Amino acid sequence: MTRAVRTPTALDDVDPQRRVRNAALTLVALGLGIVALWALQSVGSTKLTQALALFAIWGVATVSLNLVNGTLGILSLGHHGFMLIGGYTTGLLILSEEARGRIESSARSTMTDETLAISVANLLRGLGLDGLTTPETLWVRFLIAIFLGGLVAAVAGLIVGFPSLRLRGDYLAIVTFGFGEIIRLSASTRVFAPLTNGALGFPGIESEFGKSVWWTFGFLAFTVFVVSKLKYSSYGRAMQGIREDEVAAEAMGVNVAYHKILGFVISAFFAGIAGGLWVSWLGGVRLDFFLFQLTFFFLVAISVGGTGSITGVLLGTALVVFVRQYGDPLEETYALRTWAMAGGVLLLVASAALLGFRTLRRLRPRVTPAVLAVAALALVVLLVAAANPAFLDGSFRGFGMRAIFLSVLLIVIMIFRPEGMLGRAEFSWAGLLRERRSEPTDEERRQDAWLSNPALNADADHARVDAAPDAADAGDARTDREGGR
Amino acid sequence: MSATNLRPSSRSRRWLPWLVLALLAALVVARMLYLGSVGERFNAAFFTRAAIDSVKLGSLYALIALGYTMVYGIIRLINFAHGEVFMVGAFTTYFLFTITPYGPMAAVALAAVLAFGVTRLVGFFRASPRDPVVLASGGVAFVALAWALTLGTWPFWAALLGSMLATGVLGITIDRVAYVPLRTAPRNSLLITAIAVSFLLQNVGLLAFTNRQTPFRPDTPLLTPIALEVGGNPVPTNALLFAIPLVTAVLVVILDAFVRRTRLGKAMRASAQDAETAQMMGVSVDKVIATTFLLGSMLAAAGGAMWGLNFGSLNQPAILGILPGIKAFAAAVIGGIGSLPGAVIGAMVIGFSENFVTALFPRTPDFAGITEFKDTFAFVLLIVVLLVRPSGIVGEDLSEKV
Repeated sequence: MTRAVRTPTALDDVDPQRRVRNAALTLVALGLGIVALWALQSVGSTKLTQALALFAIWGVATVSLNLVNGTLGILSLGHHGFMLIGGYTTGLLILSEEARGRIESSARSTMTDETLAISVANLLRGLGLDGLTTPETLWVRFLIAIFLGGLVAAVAGLIVGFPSLRLRGDYLAIVTFGFGEIIRLSASTRVFAPLTNGALGFPGIESEFGKSVWWTFGFLAFTVFVVSKLKYSSYGRAMQGIREDEVAAEAMGVNVAYHKILGFVISAFFAGIAGGLWVSWLGGVRLDFFLFQLTFFFLVAISVGGTGSITGVLLGTALVVFVRQYGDPLEETYALRTWAMAGGVLLLVASAALLGFRTLRRLRPRVTPAVLAVAALALVVLLVAAANPAFLDGSFRGFGMRAIFLSVLLIVIMIFRPEGMLGRAEFSWAGLLRERRSEPTDEERRQDAWLSNPALNADADHARVDAAPDAADAGDARTDREGGR
Repeated sequence: MSATNLRPSSRSRRWLPWLVLALLAALVVARMLYLGSVGERFNAAFFTRAAIDSVKLGSLYALIALGYTMVYGIIRLINFAHGEVFMVGAFTTYFLFTITPYGPMAAVALAAVLAFGVTRLVGFFRASPRDPVVLASGGVAFVALAWALTLGTWPFWAALLGSMLATGVLGITIDRVAYVPLRTAPRNSLLITAIAVSFLLQNVGLLAFTNRQTPFRPDTPLLTPIALEVGGNPVPTNALLFAIPLVTAVLVVILDAFVRRTRLGKAMRASAQDAETAQMMGVSVDKVIATTFLLGSMLAAAGGAMWGLNFGSLNQPAILGILPGIKAFAAAVIGGIGSLPGAVIGAMVIGFSENFVTALFPRTPDFAGITEFKDTFAFVLLIVVLLVRPSGIVGEDLSEKV
């Protein structure tokens, strides 16, 4: 895809009437969303509230990771490291006095009196703001702690980004992964153990903020606001230019290094905020809360939703959080026969889906060996399950099925729709209502006529061939309209 | 040596690495002498032991790193799942020497997999996959292996070979299912898929193998202790001291001969230089890539089996492959990715940095030692090498590609 795709911007809707209508629709939707959130968290179970809060927290992380992976086009795999930094900073800063006392009296603790004294409350006392150290103003301290956590993570992002952003492509990915792991592995060493309490971490962090729908969604809204403003600013356009072609962007006068670092640091800042919320949601800080699998889940969310699209990423996050929070039936113990049956049906569905995909894309031959092999395997499994042999007596616990599901999902998405559900398109009212963005101008009409006239343009046939796949594919057609080509 | 580089290079400043090496050696000797003068404990035996551990670990990393470097040399993919292939190899070995003999169903299924691996190996020397020799060898292997699997407990060497075959087939399968559909996709998509495959294998391992640390103590003469004495002090060790480097050396020599002498090896080198042109010259690049995965995974499986022997136990599947995998990748980059000797050299560098360097800065009353940082060395080295000399120690010049 080398054809130029005009970046959709908020100013694309030039029709003033439509702009008013879209603004009104947005306000109504926001209002409805708030009401729905209120209804859900007052009526729904604790589990639902927690899932909603987790969605918002991971949303902060995925939207910020997407700024690097999608907008800047750099595959960064060290997000969990920045979240760890933000999480530990926030955790240390808002740890309650009694939790500090427990750590102090613990024989295995590696924290010193100086590091135990680091807290927002002490900072505020030092500034003479004793009014803000009461239990009622905990939220102020929480906000300050989260913000400081983000800042520390941003500084780490600067330190990591400065050397590594000179690299390109998969080397950069591996170096960000390396930095993420270095952060995690060195957090428990004696250099940082006085700050992190080694492998013990600190339990007992206030979870009323991380588990509150309002706080987390507030942070999510803030993140989405900042990242989308950035995306549609000149900075964002420069970043997208770097994504499309780094050399060309540089030739056009974009300061590549500056924009890469900028994107990376902002992304790290929000990762730090997500880390702070995450430890608050968990109610404690430990090293194994920040494994690489966290970044993997974010990667799944981004890739499934649509790399580069904020709405798509939120959609993907919703899916991942749903699987994580409500996928536990997958991990229970069932009879082996049930597993075999489910596996057979799944393989049959996969075979049919493959066939459907090839039919939809008009690929020939429609029935490939892969389709037949999967179908045959499905039949064998189903027949074996139906024959009910002795070795299927017994049961099996589906330990880790959620992770398996998510990784298979990621592989399937990468093979069949690497751009994700929404691609790079954002949600828009015009897109939802299936409106044409704007009538073509006379100049565009003249260009179209010229391009499609074989007498004038030797490449006309070529142009038509280029346009054909889009017409054939409903999903792409929609993306194109939203992309406003 | 350059003939075994998957990608030939034009080298300038050949003396530079040797100079660096000589300086490093001088520093190391000075440090050892200093330590020897400071503490009674830091005698020759102490450093010999560290060197032995380093060589063993380096050999193990080399077996994994070769898979990374071959795959990267040809399709420019950092095969993130290679560490998990190593994990599967280790556990397959474990299940072959512990719970054999198998029941008839399991024996037939596994024998089919192994026989498929045999057909691919024999297929190296034959043009067509439907060649009668290939089919016959596959049939014979199938019958013989199915029979052998029901016969009795397998010795360690048989488990090692069986695990290599099975893991090689796993490598081919991963390539066919996950990577072949993405041949023309952007490299980031390929890398994300590799990460997904790695994650999938970790969790399937947890599900299918075990979820806890597993003792790995086969009944083999390789574990007999050797009485080694250096400067009057005993160095506790066993036959693995020779076995692990020997296995690595033998496998590397076979691989080297394969890459240099066989038709498919030539095709492999051609594909590494320019896959498109090689394809036009009649090389079946897909077959070459499948072969690369087969060989790389077999080496990783051997590494996994020896890893288990060396440490006496296997970590749980979700974490066993990650660190060795990423360190071996670092080794491949340090040595010069795409180069076979480079992978071995880089692996030795990592092995020595982990054990020998730790021994050079040991725990003393006024210094707590650097053991707790040793897992980060590989990452630091990786990052430094990528930033300073992306082509690695012996590799081609990658500066405009990185």
